[in-house]
Amino acid sequence: MRISLTPRAALVALLALPLVVIWPTWWMLLTCFVLWALVVLTDALLAPNPAMITVRRDAPGQVRLGKEATGRLLLTNPTARPARLEVRDAWNPTAGLSEQRSRLHVPPHERRAIRQRFLPTRRGEHSSRALLVASVGRLGLARRTARAQAPGRLLALHPFGSRRHLPSRVRRLREIEGLAAIHQRGQGTEFDSLRDFVDGDDVRSIDWRATARRRSVVVRTWRPERDRHVLIVVDTSRTSASRLGDSTRLDTAFDAALLLTALAGQAGDRVDLLCIDRIPHVSVLGSSRTTVLNDMVSATAAVHPALVETDWELAASTITSRARKGSLVVLVTPVEESVVHTGLLPVAARLARDHPLIVASVSDPALEELAAGRDDLETVYRAAAAEQARTRRAGVAHALERTGAHVMDAPPEKAPQGLADSYLMMKAAGRL
Amino acid sequence: MSPSRSAGAAISPELAPAADAAPATTGPSSPGRDSAGPGGSGDRGGHGRPWLVILVATGIVLAIAVTIARGVYRDGPLEPDAPTPQGSKAVVEVLTDLGTQVRVDRHTEDAAQSLREDRTVLVTAPSSLSAPQLDELAGALEEGEGQLVLVQPDFVTLSYLTPLITPAGSLRAESTVEAGQSCGDLTFEARALAVPGEEGLRGPSTLYSTRGEAQGCFDTPEGDLVAADGQVLVLGSADLLTNEGVREADNSALVLNALGPSGELSWYVPSATDPMATTGPELLTHLPDWAGPVGLWILLVAGIALIAWGRRFGPVVVEPLPVTVRPQEMVLGRARLLQQSSSRDAAATALRSATSVRLALQLGLRRESTLDALVAALAPHVQRSPEQIRSLLGPTPVTRDQDLVQLARDLDRLEKEIDR
Repeated sequence: MRISLTPRAALVALLALPLVVIWPTWWMLLTCFVLWALVVLTDALLAPNPAMITVRRDAPGQVRLGKEATGRLLLTNPTARPARLEVRDAWNPTAGLSEQRSRLHVPPHERRAIRQRFLPTRRGEHSSRALLVASVGRLGLARRTARAQAPGRLLALHPFGSRRHLPSRVRRLREIEGLAAIHQRGQGTEFDSLRDFVDGDDVRSIDWRATARRRSVVVRTWRPERDRHVLIVVDTSRTSASRLGDSTRLDTAFDAALLLTALAGQAGDRVDLLCIDRIPHVSVLGSSRTTVLNDMVSATAAVHPALVETDWELAASTITSRARKGSLVVLVTPVEESVVHTGLLPVAARLARDHPLIVASVSDPALEELAAGRDDLETVYRAAAAEQARTRRAGVAHALERTGAHVMDAPPEKAPQGLADSYLMMKAAGRL
Repeated sequence: MSPSRSAGAAISPELAPAADAAPATTGPSSPGRDSAGPGGSGDRGGHGRPWLVILVATGIVLAIAVTIARGVYRDGPLEPDAPTPQGSKAVVEVLTDLGTQVRVDRHTEDAAQSLREDRTVLVTAPSSLSAPQLDELAGALEEGEGQLVLVQPDFVTLSYLTPLITPAGSLRAESTVEAGQSCGDLTFEARALAVPGEEGLRGPSTLYSTRGEAQGCFDTPEGDLVAADGQVLVLGSADLLTNEGVREADNSALVLNALGPSGELSWYVPSATDPMATTGPELLTHLPDWAGPVGLWILLVAGIALIAWGRRFGPVVVEPLPVTVRPQEMVLGRARLLQQSSSRDAAATALRSATSVRLALQLGLRRESTLDALVAALAPHVQRSPEQIRSLLGPTPVTRDQDLVQLARDLDRLEKEIDR
């Protein structure tokens, strides 16, 4: 507990000036100072002890980024004296607490609340670093400060802006599932039912055994297999820290991963998530179909890019230990020369042998703006450099395609839908 | 391909800055997208700085060189070392050459001591002396045999040292004053003195009237320019001694003959650091007696106020923010490299191949098809001859910068034609 002065204490000290003018002696000066100190000290000691004030917090818990959360601080005054309090709740700045400091008056044996509004500006975990309660004396000359124990925590979740694209993709999924009749037999299909042969059916799908039992010709139908396993691997390395538009590449990657998770949940598939750079960071493994989206949102809230290169060999070994043969693997990483030089190509080739593989990449929209520049010599040179970069990207994508991966490269506003469409395309083609 | 292409084409150069500005309004920590904007102005600012540094350095070196070349001296009116127009180095040098010992005094005590030692003492600014200093000089004058030369003294100074000489008027016009008939020794072998009037070092020259045993010389209707009373010699103008004024008319004769004969001269320049010149603690004595305690109390209150306002309520909260990287740096750097090395052909190749790939995709050709196939496929759709298309898309050398810009625009136009 500390005692500190208020500006009013200095004003009160000015009141002694006439005395000093009338009796201008050093003794008078000393007397005035002692008197002033006594008054200030008495005022401080008569204020209720701030350590006695009990503080309870109604923390906001979780909030989607961009939405407002509310919390409360409840202060109870158990003493017999009224308490004039100054409270500072020191949250980190990006938690977006509207007012850190507040003053309030708590009568004896009563409780008052401070309402707090949070508008976080950064994804991840926010916390109150310190909570200080100062009790101001009745004359307002001094205050006693104490630290209160009421830990506060707020998790700002990924906004998941791409969820507005979910209904249309689910409708497409239902169409694919409903068109079971035209489905050929394939790796990712399972036996659905028997029905009579109609013109146009593939003769290879005639079930001769059943035909022998019945008088008519019977064909087997297939539908996309359910309960497939999807493993999403998000690259959190240096390249994911790129700022594209108003958000980083990693934010878009999570947006795409969440949309795919929601869609796959509708299709009856199990989804796991790995965030990896030099070490595996966060993983959501074996969540049930109903909770996976929630788990994923809260697990990815605190993941941020790191300025390191991804260790793709490590990623490959983690993936093979997590994914059964034949389960869909989605690598969310930019298709860039630098990434490929760190060993993505051989790893992708190895993965593509055992799994259907999608490489989802978020491209930089600024590159297109640069490539369209025709104003003067400088912009034309920039356009040329941008075209070179795009050509190299296309080359890398081509090389990845040749290893057997499906490459999806789209700007941030189209990447989540693009990944969902790639998934649906694979479903429709019976590859999953 | 087609949506991205149309998006690229839709952003015209005029719209591009607006598209950049839009995300910037979303928040203070937002994007590094404007890295695509010009960075040229900043560079130009950086180029100007070396010149400034060189200029400043040259100035400093010049100043030091001038100081060294000039030598160290104290500049001021009638300073014995100063070669400036207001200094008196010329007179002092000539006197020294003629065998006169010249000593510079800056304190009244030293000047008085010189008087007692029978030296000639020249007081350059007698009007600036205070009463105790004048008393000291007057005392020394009576005790010793030395001669006192006063340069343009005022009434107060003269009343202390010789009551027989008083200021009578001033000479405002630039003029030459002839020595009168009844001067005797007081002419110091000079026939005429020249004084600059209003433009003089201390304003117009002063004229003096004499009584009793005092003698005057170089007279005008209002009074005399030079006056003497026993040991005291009064000169009516400071310009008789300056480097600029001493060469006029017979000024030099007067000055050298007045100061030289005794062989020992003290050049007394009154200074503010003289212990006798200090006026003492006059200001503080006017304050009331409560001022000290009240001042101290106010200081104390100010201290209290500073402590009260300077209080920090709780710790400073620091927060590590996630890292973000501007992805276009590499592309912009490469563009700058291309431009600096004037790699027009490399730039043209990049633009042409990008356009060719897009056109081939639109026309349903394979990526790997040859230029001939592309030209053949294009020819029916555009209003250009195959030769024109070939020179546009083929490896025609680009020799000038304007050609490169023109080529980029032509490629754009070709794509738009196919797009229709």
